[in-house]
Amino acid sequence: MAKEKRDVEINSRADTLPLCGPDVRPWPVTPPPTPEEVMKVYEKRKAGEFGKWCEDNLRFEKGFGKAEALQGFKVLDIGLWRLGHKFASSCLAEAGAEVICIEPPGGDPMRKLTPFGREEYMLADKETGEKCGLGFINEMRNKHSITLDIETEEGREVFKKLAHHADVIVEGHLPGFMDSLGVGYRQLSKINPRLVYCWVGLRGQWGSFKDRVSKHGQWELDPFAQSTNAFVHSTGFPQDMLPRGKGGDPTRSGVWAADYIAGEQAAVNILAALYWRDEFSGEGQFIEVTGAEALFDILDFDIGWYGFNASIKARTGGWDPNLNQYEWNPCKDGYMMIGGQSDRLWYRIGMCIERDYPQFGRLIHEDPFLKEVGARNALHALIKTYTLTTRWLRDINRVEAEEKLMDYEIAAGPVLYFDEVCEFPHFKYRPWVYTLESDYGTLLYATPNNAFQIKTPHRVKWLGRALGKDNNEIYSRWLGMGPTKVDDLKEKGVI
Amino acid sequence: MAKDPRETRIEDLPGPKSKGELEEMKIPYEEYCRKAFDPGNEWSKPEALKGIRWLSCTMYIFTPHSAANLAELGAEVVKIEIPRMGDAMRHTSPFNEAYLYPLHDTRPMTGTGFGFLGANVNELYLSMDYHIPEMVDAFYRLVKMSDGLTELYRPGTLDRWKMSYRYLQEINPRFIYVWGGGFGYGPKVFGGSYDILGQAHAGFASITGMHEYMGGHCAKHSNWIIDWGSGTLITYGVLAAMHWRRKTGLGTMIEFSQVQTPARFSEYSVPLYGRFGIVRQRWGNWDTQLSVHGIILCGKSDFPDAQNPQDKFDARYVMVSAFNDPDFKELCDITGLKDLYGQYKAHKDRVDAKPQVEIYAALEKWASDKTRSQVVKTLTDAGILAAPVMNDREVYECEHYRERGTIRWLDDPLYGDVLLQSGHSVGLLSKTPRRTNWIWRPVGGDNVKIYRDWLGYPLSKIEEWYNKAYI
Repeated sequence: MAKEKRDVEINSRADTLPLCGPDVRPWPVTPPPTPEEVMKVYEKRKAGEFGKWCEDNLRFEKGFGKAEALQGFKVLDIGLWRLGHKFASSCLAEAGAEVICIEPPGGDPMRKLTPFGREEYMLADKETGEKCGLGFINEMRNKHSITLDIETEEGREVFKKLAHHADVIVEGHLPGFMDSLGVGYRQLSKINPRLVYCWVGLRGQWGSFKDRVSKHGQWELDPFAQSTNAFVHSTGFPQDMLPRGKGGDPTRSGVWAADYIAGEQAAVNILAALYWRDEFSGEGQFIEVTGAEALFDILDFDIGWYGFNASIKARTGGWDPNLNQYEWNPCKDGYMMIGGQSDRLWYRIGMCIERDYPQFGRLIHEDPFLKEVGARNALHALIKTYTLTTRWLRDINRVEAEEKLMDYEIAAGPVLYFDEVCEFPHFKYRPWVYTLESDYGTLLYATPNNAFQIKTPHRVKWLGRALGKDNNEIYSRWLGMGPTKVDDLKEKGVI
Repeated sequence: MAKDPRETRIEDLPGPKSKGELEEMKIPYEEYCRKAFDPGNEWSKPEALKGIRWLSCTMYIFTPHSAANLAELGAEVVKIEIPRMGDAMRHTSPFNEAYLYPLHDTRPMTGTGFGFLGANVNELYLSMDYHIPEMVDAFYRLVKMSDGLTELYRPGTLDRWKMSYRYLQEINPRFIYVWGGGFGYGPKVFGGSYDILGQAHAGFASITGMHEYMGGHCAKHSNWIIDWGSGTLITYGVLAAMHWRRKTGLGTMIEFSQVQTPARFSEYSVPLYGRFGIVRQRWGNWDTQLSVHGIILCGKSDFPDAQNPQDKFDARYVMVSAFNDPDFKELCDITGLKDLYGQYKAHKDRVDAKPQVEIYAALEKWASDKTRSQVVKTLTDAGILAAPVMNDREVYECEHYRERGTIRWLDDPLYGDVLLQSGHSVGLLSKTPRRTNWIWRPVGGDNVKIYRDWLGYPLSKIEEWYNKAYI
């Protein structure tokens, strides 16, 4: 709550910056529900005792008092530009592995990325004053940062020594780059046969359409992976719904989605490989995960459907082509998502809409064709159902629609923007976004999904790391290199 | 070292130790990779999770996928379904088109739809009605001989039947128990959840699609990305817990909510709001942090005479990337947009919003009399990164994915030829590759195997349960 009223003149974006921030406007703006209020929710369904047991045993806040699952595993993360290898090593670091990020002395160019090039959204490290983009800070979770130029002879020697100690190397360089320097899996596995080495990229380090680089050395980054795997083609609105070139086009994910999907599968494959090493063989192995291919896994059945009857999936905007109802449609103040496919839920949605809009029952529920679960997935059935649903939605706003649908226990919810996401009561209560005092000041971040556990919850201990902050510590602890030697290498540009 | 230090042995010297190793060090890198991963020969190599047994008390995509990941890596997974009905996902198929028969031996005319594809591969299919007190014993027997389970029921449901973690840990302290759902403890604990609810509630929808000034709406990620993606994160949590169990002998319980996943996958969006109060918006097919790095519309389709409208009308989009200065210069040269280069020489200048609008409009104008492949070829020949936006057919026909074995046909033991897109595609492992043995089986297809061969129930009992529809 604002303590006093002030007159503020806003002439440019710069004038707005001091008006926000954790000191002026701490998160959350309104407090989350209290545990007592939530107990009443559990009681409503006679799950009071179980609800209390969950809160006592799973609460996020108790996480720091518990053990870490991957404590003792050592991971090197070396790569530039992309999120794939970074997300993989974030997962490992959140679960307690010791992750060392190796950057060239100039730093990962991703440190400099910021939305629309706006430097005012970059944050300065408290000690060094060095500015860093929020995307990089957000994925620099529990990771140490050291610098090393592996393109120098001495740098490679240092890297090989580090590889001696590592259980895992996550690599995100161009195909064959590490191998050409003599520090790829082929060479390192001779030095350290227990090493699990995972390359994460877009389409592959080998094959006829492997990751490419431009004539001037520019890397391919996502959404190239999304584009070359049919995800983009079937996402977005069709030209029947919106004019082509004005919204009715294939659409990329707002984020580098292929990188995230590849990263999490890389982390899974790495842990499986470690399990096989520790349980059975004592041997490491070579892993390759790519964004375009990992994204096949999330393409539902699309390619398989092509194999079945040569169907090419088309775009259906905010609708799902397999389920009725399962979509969002515009309402008075935004978009409202409604879902319910089985007869039980489908008719309940209709009963809710009928209260305000009786024609819905006559036109939808009394249509014999729509009575069969499978049949109402046909395209014309979707069009009919959603046209009438939207006719209802257009006169009400998101909150009203949600309240009405909740009366019938429908899985429905508004499309929320990020301010609403961060202030959503359930998000604040868990919490799914949380604050942390970092080297870059107080930060709001999304918590790991695996943070809610009895024994070994994953957690974020710090966010962001100044470039090379851990040089002295890591080189001394891992390799016995004292500060004199580190400074010496620094002078030569190796570190 | 040899006993006599004067003796030189090849194994003590650095470098390759045998002719074979020497060859291995000499072959080109791509060939080395191809040999290491050796697609098609997965079955001559061991399975990473051999010996792990997992119970999948799941439905839909999200929680099943967490167990399918384990099954692809070699774990023995038992999928437990409602008798005669099965997983709800079996009854879904794109536009009601693609089914494989039968669903169950009492229902020959009902099939399993392609909505079920990929989420439950390699599993054994058991059916069981948990409501029946008689079945609880069978369930406990399974728990005692398994490593863990994934379930998705409303919080407190299995607890009511004494099948939740706090009961199961008493009979098997090594048990790893996962609840996967939408919300978990908290004010919306009983809220049902779907992939699309996650996309809507946790911000994905708000940042995907064209901005309203471009004429667009929030676009749904066409696929159930939050289901599949969250399922994989569960697998990750399970494997981490298994490492900890190796040390301590103790299992754990993971309460996993899929609705939070999009927030985790949203790059800088949450910290940007937290620090500056700025709410990230949709930015269509362009990139908020890089320019040029976006998808443009070309004037002509690559296949104007194709039958399929997806080829005929939509083979018109190209992903173009030239964000580094020399690449941008090259792009402006080749497209004749030299003024743009003069205006936006520095990345900082061209990545701002207005210049992006101007640059992409100019590029689309340049491409307005060209086909998709002309644009890709012109740019690629100039050394710039460009790629067509490919559809399902083009992906299927793409040589690259075939030679890597990530798109391949499977001769399924029950259903014959099925085109596979998952499993083999989510990572190549050189020594313990993932593999797909079969896509699915009918509901209860492994009942006899499990109830008799594993749990020791007599056939007569199993038949009785079958007739009563307990299983």
